[in-house]
Amino acid sequence: MNGKQRILTALAVREADRVPLYIHGINEGPIIGIGNRITDGLPEVMDFREMDDSAKMKVLDTLFLIHETFEVDGFSAFEIGHETPVDDLHIQDDFGVVYALSEFGLPVAKGHPVKDASDLAQYTPPEPSRGHLLLLDLARDRFKNEKALFWLMRGAFVRCWRLMGMENMMLKMFDDPEFVHKVARMTLRYNLAQLELLVEAGLDVLVVEDDIADKNFPLIAPEQFLEFVNPYNRKIVDAAHARGLKVVRHSDGNLWPLMDILLESGYDGLNPLEPQAGMALEKVKDYCGKRLCLLGNIDCIDLLPDGTPQQVDAAVAQAIEDAGKGGGLIICSSNSLHPGVDPDNCIAMFEATRKYGRYTSD
Amino acid sequence: MVLAQLLETLYKGDQKQIVELVRQAFDAGMAPETVLKEGLIAGMDEVGRKFQAGEIYIPHMLLAARAMHAALDILKPLLVERGNAPAGRVVLGTVKGDHHDIGKNLVATMLEGKGFEVIDVGIDAPPEKFVAAVDETVRIVAMSALLSTTAPFIGETIVAFEQAALRENIKIMVGGGAVTREFAERIGADAYGADAAAAAGLAMQLAGSEDVNQR
Repeated sequence: MNGKQRILTALAVREADRVPLYIHGINEGPIIGIGNRITDGLPEVMDFREMDDSAKMKVLDTLFLIHETFEVDGFSAFEIGHETPVDDLHIQDDFGVVYALSEFGLPVAKGHPVKDASDLAQYTPPEPSRGHLLLLDLARDRFKNEKALFWLMRGAFVRCWRLMGMENMMLKMFDDPEFVHKVARMTLRYNLAQLELLVEAGLDVLVVEDDIADKNFPLIAPEQFLEFVNPYNRKIVDAAHARGLKVVRHSDGNLWPLMDILLESGYDGLNPLEPQAGMALEKVKDYCGKRLCLLGNIDCIDLLPDGTPQQVDAAVAQAIEDAGKGGGLIICSSNSLHPGVDPDNCIAMFEATRKYGRYTSD
Repeated sequence: MVLAQLLETLYKGDQKQIVELVRQAFDAGMAPETVLKEGLIAGMDEVGRKFQAGEIYIPHMLLAARAMHAALDILKPLLVERGNAPAGRVVLGTVKGDHHDIGKNLVATMLEGKGFEVIDVGIDAPPEKFVAAVDETVRIVAMSALLSTTAPFIGETIVAFEQAALRENIKIMVGGGAVTREFAERIGADAYGADAAAAAGLAMQLAGSEDVNQR
């Protein structure tokens, strides 16, 4: 089996030749840190936006090389080229959302262009651009169908709160529910149009990336999730399935109060299953059984930053023991490989997956 | 009867009705202190309890907070006029590098719901901003971090208080998505709150005793 077959088999909750390996997200730091073990000529760690073209090409090539060297079975692509600088500290996306840049993490949405119905009346949403799928094109050309191509698509909740502001959205659910629905419908139209472009570009797996929970609870009540979020995401799931794609749901946090809703929504996989948020792999596997493939759970909060390669090796073995039987497990960290992870621990995770993941003797 | 209605209205988050109920309470001769303690504080305690139990979620907390602020706008001038001091003054902020504010704002609301005056130093607040906000009237500093990459700045801010010779004067409470009880102990914080309601309860304990060291 090649990587793509392995991933698609796992997402169908069947046993492949071995448990597949996937990187959901990875920052510049770990790309360069891991890359320095397998190539040379990499730049110092810095924000990708600040690199010159030569450094960008080298880092991108190294990202591909990491997937090849360590036999990572799927590649995550995402939109690029949709953001423009506002000043040294802020960028703006093509929806008009302004983000504060931080050297400590992802940009944080701070400027919200659609706060109420009057803003919406004046607002023109963007059209998805084929050019923004460049990373997917590059991955498809590089991996030549050997690896599954994933795309990270923001879902209804994240797109809506970025447009409205999160507190404002939460209050508008009470004060002006129709406004929230109108914005959600607008983002759905964008996502469905982008899906058409993705299918033409050769996508295999759509990831509905829509963080909806913190480590304690979902951010909104289950009944609000059912009214304002899930119906719109579910339309994306149905459209992707109709075009032959697999669909993975990504959300940080404790998803237990929403688990039954998610299970009924048709997703093929669930990611990233944070141990610190109560998403213990064995418990999730017991609950979901053959209904869902699980991707994640290798702890990136404590283990990958501060553990040892031996501890990572043991954690991967345990994950495969807990959830590998019968298929439906893809080894992946419990969120992105962020700047704090130890490159040697990441490599230990990659190698342990091959070491312990074999289902058959071929 | 009015107090029970206040409590219920706070939970439902009805701003207009809560203002009307506060006026009715005054008309009935009720003291502002009673309205605050037995109406608003009791109401926010109940809201906090439901939140901790997973019976309500952040949007409901925001709704209650909005109603509470509408009531406090009427009550605060009267309480000050009658010589009431706040339960304490708390400096609150999200540490350097961290731009997340909902959790911090909920903590502010719950603290105000307990009668504290909150000095909000905002998001992405460097250690020197926390230090500059502390004067002799401030006994508690509350810091949060959502990101594991920014959580170390909580420790750096504690060091900044030590260097400014202010550490002995204040109690430090910490929380946020990236913070655990173990982390709080490791960096020398005085208290850890898992959520906004817990933070408000801890602040009451810290304000109530010079020797409290809740971990």
